[in-house]
Amino acid sequence: MDITRRDAIKAAAAVGVTGSGILINSRPSHAQQVDAAKKWVDSEFQPSTLSKDEQMSEMEWFIKAAKPFVGMKVNCVSEILNIHEYESKTLTKAFGEITGIQVNHDLMDEGLLVDKIEVEMQSGRPIYDFWMNDSDFIGTHPRYKDIVGGSLTDFMAADGKDVTSPTLDLKDFIGLSFGTFTDGKLYQLPDQQFANLYWFRHDWFNRADLKAQFKQKFGYELGVPVNWSAYEDIAEFFTNDVKNIDGVRVYGHMDYGKKDPSLGWRFTDAWLSMAGGGDRGLPNGRPVDEWGIRMEDGRPRGSSISRGGDANGPAAVYALTKFVEWLKKYAPPEAAGMDFLEAGPVPGQGHIAQQIFWYTTFSESMTKPGSQVMNADGTPKWRMAPSPHGAYWKEGQKLGYQDTGCWTMLKYADPQRVKAGWLYAQFCTSKSVTLKKAVLTQHLIRESDVQSQAMTDLAPKLGGLVEFYRSPARKNWTPTGVNVPDYGKMAQVWWQNVSNAIAGSVTPQQAMDGLARDQDAIMARIERSGVQGDLGPKMNPIMTPEYWYKKSAADGNLAPQRKLANEKPQGQTIAYEELLKSWAPGQPAPDANKG
Amino acid sequence: MRINGRSIGIAAYLLALFLPIYWLLNMSFKTNGEIMSRLSLWPHHISFANYGHIFGDPVWYLGFLHSLTYVLLNTVISVTVALPAAYAFSRYRFIGDKHLFFWLLSNLMAPPAVYAMPFFNFYYSIGLFDTVWAVALAHCLFNVPLAVWILEGFISGVPREIDETAALDGYSFPRFFVKIFLPLIGNGIGVAAFFCFMFSWVEQLLATTLTTVNAKPIAAVMTRVYSAAGMDWGLLAAAGVLTMIPGAIVIWFVRNHIAKGFALGRV
Repeated sequence: MDITRRDAIKAAAAVGVTGSGILINSRPSHAQQVDAAKKWVDSEFQPSTLSKDEQMSEMEWFIKAAKPFVGMKVNCVSEILNIHEYESKTLTKAFGEITGIQVNHDLMDEGLLVDKIEVEMQSGRPIYDFWMNDSDFIGTHPRYKDIVGGSLTDFMAADGKDVTSPTLDLKDFIGLSFGTFTDGKLYQLPDQQFANLYWFRHDWFNRADLKAQFKQKFGYELGVPVNWSAYEDIAEFFTNDVKNIDGVRVYGHMDYGKKDPSLGWRFTDAWLSMAGGGDRGLPNGRPVDEWGIRMEDGRPRGSSISRGGDANGPAAVYALTKFVEWLKKYAPPEAAGMDFLEAGPVPGQGHIAQQIFWYTTFSESMTKPGSQVMNADGTPKWRMAPSPHGAYWKEGQKLGYQDTGCWTMLKYADPQRVKAGWLYAQFCTSKSVTLKKAVLTQHLIRESDVQSQAMTDLAPKLGGLVEFYRSPARKNWTPTGVNVPDYGKMAQVWWQNVSNAIAGSVTPQQAMDGLARDQDAIMARIERSGVQGDLGPKMNPIMTPEYWYKKSAADGNLAPQRKLANEKPQGQTIAYEELLKSWAPGQPAPDANKG
Repeated sequence: MRINGRSIGIAAYLLALFLPIYWLLNMSFKTNGEIMSRLSLWPHHISFANYGHIFGDPVWYLGFLHSLTYVLLNTVISVTVALPAAYAFSRYRFIGDKHLFFWLLSNLMAPPAVYAMPFFNFYYSIGLFDTVWAVALAHCLFNVPLAVWILEGFISGVPREIDETAALDGYSFPRFFVKIFLPLIGNGIGVAAFFCFMFSWVEQLLATTLTTVNAKPIAAVMTRVYSAAGMDWGLLAAAGVLTMIPGAIVIWFVRNHIAKGFALGRV
């Protein structure tokens, strides 16, 4: 058959017309979008604290608000966690079918992600359209003025008004204060949350022979340690007295000590606040936070004790001293060579009695059937409880770490793309989907989900997670706060200094002196450069420690605290079941067991 | 066969050499549960799930594809650009030739981190950010001097008389270069290409800084095995095995050239 040029043109035209027809038809109709929403609500977004009708009306709002952005493709990134895997694989698909906006939700290791966001912040060129960035940056973003619209609060009220959900219900977020700056405005919206708690083998702690043996030696009950003295006694007991359980060598403590950035998290994630460094105040101490940084009138003033900070004060030195001592005396020998990721799953292997500071993120892997630390009926052999506090800790101080991965909309990306991204961010945190995410991944972000029947049903399998989130105690657990003017730069100097003390090349005092000096140097550089304007650091003049001790006492503050004559007071423990009772709202704290 | 001390020594050496590779291969066929629970010399419950994960997830297999693409582009560009430069350095004397030659080499001494931000800004401005071209061109900074250095040695080993004889025989320069000269330095081209390939394949910092979604290299995808809920050792091992394959193939093809390169004393 001869094909003439005319035939070819006709064929090409036909293909073109059909192609453009397909393109036009690829925009989903309103009915198709509603059908898709119904399908997802019925098949995937259950359980939810909303009724199906309420979920559908929430979805209808998303369909309507997304109209101007149909067909758009946007990119975001988050660290690798089971909850973000779910968002990346399932929620992007649902969001695409319901709204017509395609989201590429990328995942990468947290270190690489922080590098990338730093490059965007420094260059002002958008790498992703929007980010999942920890609320640890809450002191950083407002000072560099890099959030779209000035702050999320301002964005929602102005440019982002038409794309802000009426059912967002901000007050329902349990980690809202973590994304709020000193001006009271919200900068980042929590999407994922976990806490660092005390972890222990409930089955071992309840064994009569071990209880009797412990009481005979230490004079008080084996139970959840309230203070570090008790933690230390229990660590000594399991590592050096019990030694073997059912033929397995057991240890009373687990930690990690490899010279690696993750070592810094151990400290910046509140080892110092547990010890009692910093001042009273929530979510972070005022005027001195757990990083030892003093802030006055919204401006960081220094972290060394000579500038009114507490990074090298007696409480901080005590914290590092105990860290090194316990790692060497009570943890398995290989722990000193491990990093965060290697050490994390170790308690799940069944030979660790307790861990002072354990990420609830690991709870999903530890509740897998067949695990060494699970009972045959699907309940865990372990429990989580509040971490014990050190000798310097006083009532009213934060006690541990709780982190929120937050949706962060930087101002550098195209405004339309940011708006489309903001819709996806709200979709991932909407009441229609958060409970399902929490059931699957154990990351709770909404009060309504915490109190839901689904979490009540799940509670026996989660070893105390639900009870913790329902207790008033959870407010004592907070992330890095507003005093830290540049998280990316300042977090670096922690592991470098701390690891020197673990290696034994310097004393804990010298290590913390080095840390305070390095932190002050970074803040002084930021002050000199002037990039953070009137929110940036303004260093205090150097005075004697005595001056600051007197000043904090006169001002009614804690930090910096003088060195205690006795850093190992009597150990105190509490029975886990008593602790649970104390978590009921309005209950006075029960008496702890004392010697 | 007679077993003597020498063969035992060689066997022990080979065993030590292959043990890490075997271990990686062994791990890649295990589940994380088995890796973490006991030390086993072979997978007791053989699992292809790790490889299935990589070949079933576009993010993973596209990561390999992106890396291979920019590595090949870079190798071709580097060798093509370096050939005339190496010829010039070898055959001609001009003012500052030696200084320029060593200056080129000094590019290799700066760590890639120094160039990360300038390259990011530059490639972003010209619209090449997040393309394989950005990485391929950025790697030229290191690979072109390396290739010039290697090729100059091989070219200097070819007698000038050959160039002159070809000219007398009426060969135009391009024809001489392609028909006569290139085959003579085939070994050198193979060696230069091999080293360019290897540098570009293992370099991470520039590759991850200059890309995000559309040209994400395998090195960046591999960070997916680290998460706050633990580490996926089996997946990392499978990815490690797959990352070694392109390098092994290249080594197979250029092994004779490399041997000759070492013999000529330039590598």
